[in-house]
Amino acid sequence: MAQLFKRWSNKLPLSLAALVLLALAGAIGFFSFYGSPRYTDAGYRPQQPVPYSHALHAGDLGMDCRYCHHAIEAAPHANLPPTQTCMNCHKLLLPESSRLMPVRESWSSNLPIVWARVHLLPDYAYFNHSAHLAAGVGCSTCHGMIARMVVVKQMAPLSMGWCLACHRNADPSLRPASEITSMEWKPAADQARFAAALRMERKINPPQDCSGCHR
Amino acid sequence: MRMSTVNSLNPGPAPDCSPSSPMALNLDLPNRRQFLSLMGASLALAGFSGCRKPVEKILPYVKGLEERVPGIPVPYASTMPLGLNPAGVLVSTFDGRPTKIEGLEGHPASLGASDLFMQAAILNLYDPERSRQPLHAGTPASWTDFLGAWKQELIALQRRRGKGFAVLSESFASPTLSRLQRELVAALPEMTWVTWDSISDETLLAAAGIACGRDAYPLAHFDRAEILLCLDADSFYGESEHLRHVRGFSAGRQVTPACGLRNRLYVVEPSMTVTGGAADHRLPKASSQIAPLALALAAELGRQGLSPFAALAAPPLQEELEQRWIAAVARDLLDHRGSGLIVAGRRQPAELHLLLYALNLALGNVGKTLDFFPIEHATLPSTPALTNLTARMAAGAITHLAILGGNPLYAAPADLDFAAALGKVGFSLHLSDRADETSVRTTWHLPAAHFLESWGDSRSVEGQFSSIQPMIEPLFGGRSTAELLALLGQGRERSGYELVRETWQTILPADTYEKSWRRLLHAGVHQATSLVPLFPEMARIEAHLARYPLPSSFTDEIEVVFQPSALYDGRWANNAWLQELPDPVTKIAWDNPARISRKLAHKLGLSDGDLAQIALGARTIRIPVSIVPGQAEGSIVLELGYGRTNAGAVGNGAGFDVGPLRSCTGLGFAVGAVIAPAGGHHLLACTQEFPGMAGRPLVLEADLEEYHRNPGFAHKAAEHPPLQNLWKEHEYTSGYQWGMVIDLNACIGCNACTIACQSENNIPVVGKEQVAKGREMHWIRLDRYFNGNPDNPEMVHQPVACQHCENAPCEQVCPVAATVHDREGLNVMVYNRCVGTRYCSNNCPYKARRFNFFDYTQKMDELKKMAQNPDVTVRMRGVMEKCTYCLQRITLAKNKAKLEGRPLVDGEVKTACQQACPAGAIEFGNLRDPASAVSRARLSERSYALLGELNVRPRTLFSARLRNRNPKLT
Repeated sequence: MAQLFKRWSNKLPLSLAALVLLALAGAIGFFSFYGSPRYTDAGYRPQQPVPYSHALHAGDLGMDCRYCHHAIEAAPHANLPPTQTCMNCHKLLLPESSRLMPVRESWSSNLPIVWARVHLLPDYAYFNHSAHLAAGVGCSTCHGMIARMVVVKQMAPLSMGWCLACHRNADPSLRPASEITSMEWKPAADQARFAAALRMERKINPPQDCSGCHR
Repeated sequence: MRMSTVNSLNPGPAPDCSPSSPMALNLDLPNRRQFLSLMGASLALAGFSGCRKPVEKILPYVKGLEERVPGIPVPYASTMPLGLNPAGVLVSTFDGRPTKIEGLEGHPASLGASDLFMQAAILNLYDPERSRQPLHAGTPASWTDFLGAWKQELIALQRRRGKGFAVLSESFASPTLSRLQRELVAALPEMTWVTWDSISDETLLAAAGIACGRDAYPLAHFDRAEILLCLDADSFYGESEHLRHVRGFSAGRQVTPACGLRNRLYVVEPSMTVTGGAADHRLPKASSQIAPLALALAAELGRQGLSPFAALAAPPLQEELEQRWIAAVARDLLDHRGSGLIVAGRRQPAELHLLLYALNLALGNVGKTLDFFPIEHATLPSTPALTNLTARMAAGAITHLAILGGNPLYAAPADLDFAAALGKVGFSLHLSDRADETSVRTTWHLPAAHFLESWGDSRSVEGQFSSIQPMIEPLFGGRSTAELLALLGQGRERSGYELVRETWQTILPADTYEKSWRRLLHAGVHQATSLVPLFPEMARIEAHLARYPLPSSFTDEIEVVFQPSALYDGRWANNAWLQELPDPVTKIAWDNPARISRKLAHKLGLSDGDLAQIALGARTIRIPVSIVPGQAEGSIVLELGYGRTNAGAVGNGAGFDVGPLRSCTGLGFAVGAVIAPAGGHHLLACTQEFPGMAGRPLVLEADLEEYHRNPGFAHKAAEHPPLQNLWKEHEYTSGYQWGMVIDLNACIGCNACTIACQSENNIPVVGKEQVAKGREMHWIRLDRYFNGNPDNPEMVHQPVACQHCENAPCEQVCPVAATVHDREGLNVMVYNRCVGTRYCSNNCPYKARRFNFFDYTQKMDELKKMAQNPDVTVRMRGVMEKCTYCLQRITLAKNKAKLEGRPLVDGEVKTACQQACPAGAIEFGNLRDPASAVSRARLSERSYALLGELNVRPRTLFSARLRNRNPKLT
């Protein structure tokens, strides 16, 4: 009688197991890439109600970040500017521009401009802008080259691992107070020495405890 | 100013282009295949759009606000009005939304402390069942409608000079309200003004008025007194001005190495109260027996040499204990002339208060520990006036009635039949925060503004002016009492701001008015009081007591005694925080069982929760009973404020209305009650069912002599072998190291910490059934223990929250490391790691951990969510939670200090419980700073760790309690 199972069928369990393993590895790989904040969050660029360009204002015109986001050195949240701040200039500058229509409408109707939030942390994570600025962490460290973005998008994954990487070794991200809002700042050759001195001076000791950010 | 919406619910741009656009299909005649593909596509699209990231909106201001930093709470000073006893508050507002109330340091009635009502007021503001528009005969109307209607009536009333018009108001102490009252009465001179409160100091005020010859408020200074005798007075919890009394009393409880404690407290009361628990000596005595006992005390004082009372005939005291007690108290009072104090509670008759004023006067206490302040800018409650008004209403003599606040249909004495009388009034209006029992029977219901929404002012009992300023625009267009009074008198709308500013033109100096006004709003209080205390005259008191003598014989009849509850007189019945607060004595939440003595219960065969029928004359109620240790045998204590029918979803049907037993002559207590088992049982949600400590060293106490003999008694209370650790110990040698010490000597068990914590930390309310299952969520609870003779025990309280053990047992059993230590010694709970095994709770020796069995917050009304603290994470179902030592406050303070480039100073971080505590029992701070208050408290020889023998090394320590007992009574 002919063999019921062909010779190659001996290898069937092995190849099935290999296939399952491969599929598993593929699934893990797939989800760890496509499910991670690096993929899901970084690059998030919601549509905004006003075609405001950071590249024009902060880049070409060279306005300081703090002209609009004035409370960042005192507040946990980085505030968005009131409509008033826009109108400081745009009462005289481009008063007829159709792109500024929503701003003028807000100004005359006394209703706020409804912006879409770009950098969104979970509700149980409490990030404090003022603490980071005081420690010498500049805007571009987390937000990227905002001054070159026409529409702002999220650069960093803002995941817990990404935060902790810096909290474990903040030295490469520390810069002098004068460079806080600079987009061009690069660590100098003696960054290690500078950072060590700054840490001593400002008693910088980034928390790695849960309670550092979660309450 | 943030709004979170899920994209799929947003009418924003259409979702990304679909693989098969439905528009391409011929939708007129879909065949089966088309239909299925269409459904499939939309299902897939709906599924994917559900996975999308939620888009959060940011709404900045249009015009920026000066000095407003987003995300940093701003405190404003204001005043919480309550009858004649306003208390200063400091309200934190978060981006324009009030979230937390604390006591105001500068106000004499709060002195920085707060109580239940103050803490819970924030939830009243965001009560979704507050009425949203005026109601005319039950149908929604507008304020314009009301104004139009009133103008017509006003013309008619003005023609009659106000005849037939009456105002029924709650009592108030406010310059503006007082002025508007005068103006209204001047405009309509023949109108009637009646003031009445369900709970008031009417008897004290009547007595003070007689003694001083003019309206006066008797203000006791517990801080100056060394020998205190409280007769049926729950001065630390249920009586007015209790915050300052607790502050004063606890100041005299500071243990000094030289003399121990400065004061000694004697309490005589029908049922165990917070004050009775704090007493050094307590005697259970029915309310109706207080008067003869006070006479016996007066006679004893006379016998021991106090001149005016030498000839007083003493009613015979039945028991030997009472005789010894009275003799010892009399001796103590005589030995401390000028530094003693005798007070009685508001439910005692005016004549008893007069007798006590006479005793205080003779002992030289008046002017020292007891002051009589003349009353200005206030209206005083009067039950006879209410009786008179009701009779005139019933007779048809009142055509127009304005009820300003209060809820007379629920609270008025039952023998008046206010409801029937109200039915005879043609035009009635009721200003109230909700359409309550009274509102549904009046022609007009007008929504009232909360005090956090309105302008106003007030005057404390010693005459301290303070301001009331709004934190937020009225949420539902309510009007304040001042605004309504102005409308009633002038027939037009006036803003509260204008009205208050007008009044203050006469109080503030004209040349610096604007500056002084701004200073007033900033500080909340005006300069110190200018009132000069009055002096009562013995002759007036004697003359009155000769005409109206006190009963001098003890009666054995059963009495019913009425006392305010956590809902006060019922006005806060819809406040879930107050409803769920376990009573300090019975530990029962959501109910008001009648408190009866062990002996009476035994006689009737009743046990906890059994229904009883209580009759007083022809009126009866059915109510469950609760057996309270230390209750006077013949006293049945009934709590007011429960059993509401129109309070709202929270308050309706919670507890039992005891109002039917309350009459004009028995508002405080009444004798001649009959109690009988009614059959049936009622579920009582009790959070602590065991009465005592069962011999375990939990709350340690000693009397002063014992303490002097053996100062370190607390350290030796628990015997154990040398403590050794199984694990390598953490090191806590750098940075801040947080710790807490709770002084049981100061703690009176008033529950203010529990509510303050609930407000600060977004702690959910779970409802009666869940509480009955032991699932209440309070992060700090008050353990109550009775010691000694069950008929006359001593009561102690111990606040227990997470002890932040350095060797935490919870951390050792958590399978997912959701509870771990941080480097500052905090035992932190990581909500988003927690999978809800509850192992930690099982392994916690203090049972300080709470589990979210359901999603209590998600289904909460949006309005109530506004009361939540944005700095604290809201927990979801299946997550463990517990005290964090107010981590958010620590973080904010540390960050503030860091921005200012300095280390934290001691006292800069105050936990919510510590800040609220009127007794100042809680110290919190950095243990590594040897000069900090908490370090010094830890070094005290009275400090001990609760269950320290388990070697869990808690960061919270307790200080043992001392009682200053009279050697003659031990």
